[in-house]
Amino acid sequence: MGKILEHFSKKLIRKNGVNTPDNWVVERGYEARNIIFNKNIVLKALVPVGKRGKAGAVKFPETAEEAEQQTEELLKMTVHNFPVNQVLVEEKLNIKEEWYVSISIDSQEQKPVIMVTTYGGMDIEDLAKDHPEKIATLHVDPFDGIHPFQIKELWSSLGVTGKVLVRVTEVLSKLYDIFWKYDCFILEVNPLALTKDGNIVVADSVMGVDDTALYRQSELAGMVEVGSERSWRPLTELEKQMIEVNDADYRGTARYTEIEGGDIGFMCGGGGGSLVSFDALTRHGGKPANYTETGGNPPVEKVYGLTKGILSKEEVKGLYVAHNISNNTQIDVMAAGIIKALNELKIDPVTFPVVVREAGVNDEKGRKIFEDANVTYYGEEITIEQAALKMVKRMEEVYGWQS
Amino acid sequence: MAILIGKHSRIVVQGITGREAAMIVEHTINYGTEILAGVTPGKKGQSVYSVPVYDTVKEAVKKHQVNTSLIVVPPPFVFDAVLEAIHNGIKILVITTENVPQLDVIKMLAVAKKQGVYIIGPNTAGVVNPGDQIKLGSIGGDYPERSFVPGNVGVISRSGGMANETSWMIKRAGYGVSMTIGIGGDSLIGTNIKDLLHLFEHDEDTKAIVTFSEPGTSFEEDAAEFIKNGGVTKPIISYVAGHFTESMPEGTVFGHAGTMISGDFGRPSIKMQKLKEAGVYVLENYDDMIDVLQQVLGSSEMIDLQQ
Repeated sequence: MGKILEHFSKKLIRKNGVNTPDNWVVERGYEARNIIFNKNIVLKALVPVGKRGKAGAVKFPETAEEAEQQTEELLKMTVHNFPVNQVLVEEKLNIKEEWYVSISIDSQEQKPVIMVTTYGGMDIEDLAKDHPEKIATLHVDPFDGIHPFQIKELWSSLGVTGKVLVRVTEVLSKLYDIFWKYDCFILEVNPLALTKDGNIVVADSVMGVDDTALYRQSELAGMVEVGSERSWRPLTELEKQMIEVNDADYRGTARYTEIEGGDIGFMCGGGGGSLVSFDALTRHGGKPANYTETGGNPPVEKVYGLTKGILSKEEVKGLYVAHNISNNTQIDVMAAGIIKALNELKIDPVTFPVVVREAGVNDEKGRKIFEDANVTYYGEEITIEQAALKMVKRMEEVYGWQS
Repeated sequence: MAILIGKHSRIVVQGITGREAAMIVEHTINYGTEILAGVTPGKKGQSVYSVPVYDTVKEAVKKHQVNTSLIVVPPPFVFDAVLEAIHNGIKILVITTENVPQLDVIKMLAVAKKQGVYIIGPNTAGVVNPGDQIKLGSIGGDYPERSFVPGNVGVISRSGGMANETSWMIKRAGYGVSMTIGIGGDSLIGTNIKDLLHLFEHDEDTKAIVTFSEPGTSFEEDAAEFIKNGGVTKPIISYVAGHFTESMPEGTVFGHAGTMISGDFGRPSIKMQKLKEAGVYVLENYDDMIDVLQQVLGSSEMIDLQQ
C-alpha cells in the first residue's frame, strides 16, 4: 500500500473533472507571504498522515506576516513521526457546508464500500458512534460496478434534494471512477465543501494506492510513497538500503524494520515464522534491534546483504537466525549468505553469539556450512521457541545478565 | 477422504512452464501426486516433467477432464487465468501468486462466489492431503513427508511456512494430519478460517483442528462467532502469533500483507479472547501445542511413526 501526498491526489482529482482549490507547495516562509498577497489562504503540513488538523498542522493566516511565520512554524514540526519538509498553501474557500465522502475496500464483504454524510468536517469515527443514522453506506458489486442512480439514491437517503443532488451525484460518480482508475485502497474527502457561490469542491483529500498495481499505473510514477505500510515513520537510511538489497533481485524477500533499543540482530522468516520467533525472543527477555522477514528462497546475495545490514547497526551484539521448516527456501543458500557476511565483518561466533534454527530444503548441507563456521546450529531437533531461549541464554553467557 | 482435494481431484497447472511452477511440479510428482495437464499460452505441445502442456484450459478439460487448478502465473495474469478456469468449469482453484492487485482479487472472488467455486489464496503455499499423497503448491518443498503424515488433525494456517511447521509439530506430538491448508497471507482471500472449519466439521477423517493465525483481518473473530453458534463441535486448538505487534505503532505491516492492526481491529489479544470465549483451546506459547494435542486427542489417535 502506498500513500500519495495531498498535492498529487488533488492534481489527479482535478484532472478527472472534480473541483479542488488552487494550491502551491512551498519550502520557505516568504513564498507563502507572496501568495497571500493575492488571496486568502490555508497552510497545511505536507506529510503522508491523516488528522493533521487535530495535530495543529493546519493554519489559517490572516496577514502576510502570519503567513510567513506560520509556514516557518509548520516547517519545524514533526507530525505523527513525519518531519515537515514542505507546506501546502491552498486558496481558502468560502464554505457553506462541509460534507464527507470515503471510498475504500471492505475486506469482510470483499467489495468497495462508499460512505457519505452531510455532516462532514469532523471526526467520522465519532459521528459513526454517536449518529450512525447520519451516514449512508453503499457496497458496490466489484464485477458489475456502480450506476449513477445508485449514487443518487445514496444521497437522497440523507435528505439531499434539488439541484445539489444532481451535482453531488455527478461528483461522487467521478470520485468512484478515480478510485477504480488508479487502483486506490482509500479515497477520502473530508470535507467535501459546498461553497457559498454554489460549487462542490474537494477541500481535503486522502488517497492511497495499491502498490502491487503500480505496473499498470504509469501516470502515478514518482507520486507514491512505496512501502509506507511497513513503517510508522520516514524510512531510516538502513531501511532504505535494505529495500535496495530486496529490489536488486526479484527472487525471495528480505524485509527490514529498525527497532530502537535492542541488541539482538533478528534474521528470521517467513511471514508467520518471524512473528513466532519475535514473540518467543521477547518473551524470554531478548531485545531485538530490528524486525526482519526473509523467505521465498532468496539467492545468496540477498541473504548476505540483509545479514550485513542487520549486523551493521552498532548496538547489535548477537544474531538470532530462525525459520519455520521451509517449503522452498534452501537452507544451504541461507547458510552461505549468512556466513559470508559474518566472515567479511570478521565476526567470531565464539565471542559474538550466533544461534541458528533453520530446517527444510537442503538442511544437511546447511548444517555443515554453519557448523564449520562454529555457529550454534539447530535443525529440526528443536522448535523455534526453544531456539529463542537458547539465543537469550547465549547472550547471558557472553555478556552476563545485563545484555 | 479429507476436504477439497482428494482422489477425485484431476489436476491442471496454469503457468506450468514458469521457473517456480516447474520446481513445484517436479516436487509434486516426486511426492506421488498425479498432474494431468499444464497450460501456458503459446506453448502447446511442450511438456514439463512429462506433463503435457496446452494453450488453453478448454483443451486441458477436453483431453483430461481436469476439475482442480493450481495457478502459478505472474500477478498481471492471475485475474484472466482465474476467469478462464472458472469459465471452463474448474471448481477448485489454488492461487500461489503474491502481490495480485486487490481490485483484480475482489473481482475474481465475486465471480467465484457466484459460481460456487472454491479459491484457496491468493498468496498461499498451498494444500496437502497426505492420506492420498496429494499436494498443490510449494508446501512441503522437496520433502513433504518430513512434516505431513496421514492422520486425523486438520490444519488451517494464515502462513504457508507455519502450515509446514505446525504439521511437523503435530507429528512431533504423535499425530498426523487429514489435510493442511495454507489459506494465504493476504486480507482478501477466497476461503477463510470459518469456511474451512465448516468443511472439517463434516469430514469424518478429521477429529480435531489446529489453526495458526496472525494479526490483522477479522478471520478469527468471524470463526469464533461461527463456533459459538454451534458451527463446530470438534475440538479446536489455536495459536495467534505476533503479540509484539500490539506494542508497535498501529497501521504497520509485519510479515504478510494482511497483518495490519487498526484500532481494535486485528489485535491478537482480542482474537485470542474471542476464540477462548467460543470454547477453543487457545495456546499462550506455540510449543504448548504438543501437550494440548495429547490432552485433547489422547493416545488412541496416535500414529505409529515406525511403519
